[in-house]
Amino acid sequence: MSDRAVAEAGRGTHGWLRALAMRGPVWIAVVLLFLLASSVSPAFMSLEEIRNIFQVTAFLGVTAIGQTIALMVGGIDLSIGGMVTLTNVLATSVMDGHNGAILPAVGVCLLAGVLVGLVNGLLIAYLRVTPMIATLSTNSILFGVALVYTGGAPHGSAAPLFVPIGQGHIAGVPASGLSWIVVALVMAFVLTRTVFGRWVYAVGANPVAARLMGVPVQQVLLVAYMLSSLMAVLGSLLITAYIGNPSLGIGDQFLLTSVAAAVVGGTALTGGIGSIISTIGGALFITEANSFTNIAHMSTGTQYIVQGAIIALSVLVYRFVLHAN
Amino acid sequence: MRKFNQSMMSRRAALKMGAGFAVAGLAGSGASAETDISRATVTGSKEITSGAKFKRSGKLRIGVSNGFSGNTWRTECMASLRKEAAKHPEIADLIIVDGQGDITKQVNDIQDLVSQQVDGLLCIPNSSTAVAPALARAMRANIPVVPFNLEVSGDQWCSYIGTDLAKKGVAKAKFLNEALGGKGKIVAMGGLPGNAGTAAEWAASKAVLSKDIEVLAMKDAYWQEDRAKVLMADLIVAYPQIDAVWCDGGGEGAGATKALLAAGRKLVPVTDDDYNGMLKLFAQHHADNPNFKLCLISEPTWESTLAVRTILALLAGKDVPKRQIVEPVPISNANYQQYLKPNLPDGVYVDSDLSDEELAKIFH
Repeated sequence: MSDRAVAEAGRGTHGWLRALAMRGPVWIAVVLLFLLASSVSPAFMSLEEIRNIFQVTAFLGVTAIGQTIALMVGGIDLSIGGMVTLTNVLATSVMDGHNGAILPAVGVCLLAGVLVGLVNGLLIAYLRVTPMIATLSTNSILFGVALVYTGGAPHGSAAPLFVPIGQGHIAGVPASGLSWIVVALVMAFVLTRTVFGRWVYAVGANPVAARLMGVPVQQVLLVAYMLSSLMAVLGSLLITAYIGNPSLGIGDQFLLTSVAAAVVGGTALTGGIGSIISTIGGALFITEANSFTNIAHMSTGTQYIVQGAIIALSVLVYRFVLHAN
Repeated sequence: MRKFNQSMMSRRAALKMGAGFAVAGLAGSGASAETDISRATVTGSKEITSGAKFKRSGKLRIGVSNGFSGNTWRTECMASLRKEAAKHPEIADLIIVDGQGDITKQVNDIQDLVSQQVDGLLCIPNSSTAVAPALARAMRANIPVVPFNLEVSGDQWCSYIGTDLAKKGVAKAKFLNEALGGKGKIVAMGGLPGNAGTAAEWAASKAVLSKDIEVLAMKDAYWQEDRAKVLMADLIVAYPQIDAVWCDGGGEGAGATKALLAAGRKLVPVTDDDYNGMLKLFAQHHADNPNFKLCLISEPTWESTLAVRTILALLAGKDVPKRQIVEPVPISNANYQQYLKPNLPDGVYVDSDLSDEELAKIFH
């Protein structure tokens, strides 16, 4: 949809709602949940909470970009949790609180990301292992490597100059959120404006047809999984800067939420359909739902019921909106 | 709740005693109050398990079923266990298996150890109920079983070692009542969703909290510092007034405190466990925050040391108390410097029987 069409759709009584719908139904869900949460707890509408959400969504947001790419090529990346954990323990141990070690630490983590993505890609594209099994195995290996590397007792901490990426603000806007949006926009550009991006969609929609059309399917898969791992590395570096410490359990939360954020954003589990920009909305939605249940007076059990219901309802809303369009 | 106040001994006293340490002492005689840095007491129940039928001679093979090993508490716990086992030449073989947080795998692990005919079995269960039948099978095969850290349902085990969660909860509530002068608003955070330990501790706390202390929220923080910080950031926005934070451990207090710092709020009383990062934060910020107070009660990683000694006592044919309840001394503003380890990582659990050098080696 062109910007002009969106602008035209934006006119009228419920113009902004329709304009949002045109950008992707997830944005309606994001706005509606925000309004619902604000009506239940006015604190939700405060600038402080909006900043909070923007700051902490970044971690999920960046990892979900990678997951979106993996889903778009018709696969899935279940090694994201392990990649986040390994990056966290590598980064903190190499930095060990020293500013001079930031670059080597980031370099080692990016290298690890490239290697893991390469292994996933080789297993899936060349050795034809099912993506779920390949990445689940890698996830197990990565957690094992993190355990062996740390001996179960991780040490080190983020360097003082590295911490602001996760905890700082630029002109009042959380630096982690800004980093996330920059990465998302770059990846959105790559997927929508480059040949590689078109190949990703083609491979995900129909790999056989793509091959017949001359798309280098195996190489596209390889790069897609490398990008997915790299996004997990970047997301992990952000949360590492936010908390400053290593934790062997830090990656677990991203395994399924990254899939949920992508799917809520409209990415199809079957491949070929998806958008990085909509995944931004998906990640915001998942974090909003968590924050809402944190803020609202709810027991633990109710919290889970409400989170599940919100996600299911959001899917119904999309269907309704898509139908209406 | 059963009471276990028949006899007591300090941790140092317990640790100093050799194999077969407490058995007679804990079971029958009076209290000993020797003090060391932890000053924990161990209280043995009146109920006794007889070691006569488990008596073995010669070299021993000890099996350890650790339900999970992916955090620093477990790492320190197993290091203490290995250290203690190494002191006893009669232990020829120490077989440690990791349940990887999976109940089914742990049941299989226990069955494997029974099939290997180990002489004694130590276990940190993943579930109070799920491992009970497997442990009962071990007992039927005349293998003495010592569960620790989480009590196993039924009575098909020899001696349980752990803290009294209800007592911990009461102590934390009393601390908050006093710190807040009986009035205020608090938030609470616990470990993994639905875990029985958090529930027991929290229930005991709630029953004792002053009626004028309002609980704004009780949420899951998974015993993780990062999750606690994200959660606390939300709670800070939702509740302009938070006078104290109740946590059950695992770095939650440190995460919550970091969120208060990030929001520019004054720091408040916190309950937690013996996570070094919490002590470091206190050391760094208490001077500027007069209301920043601590009540940190450990789940001692050295329970494994007592477990090794208990299994050796049983295998030497001695009687042991059915339950050995460890009661750590709370870490507070007054004594935190005795526990603080400024040169070791935040993730260290400081109530340890490992030396700083040994801990430094583990957290290399």
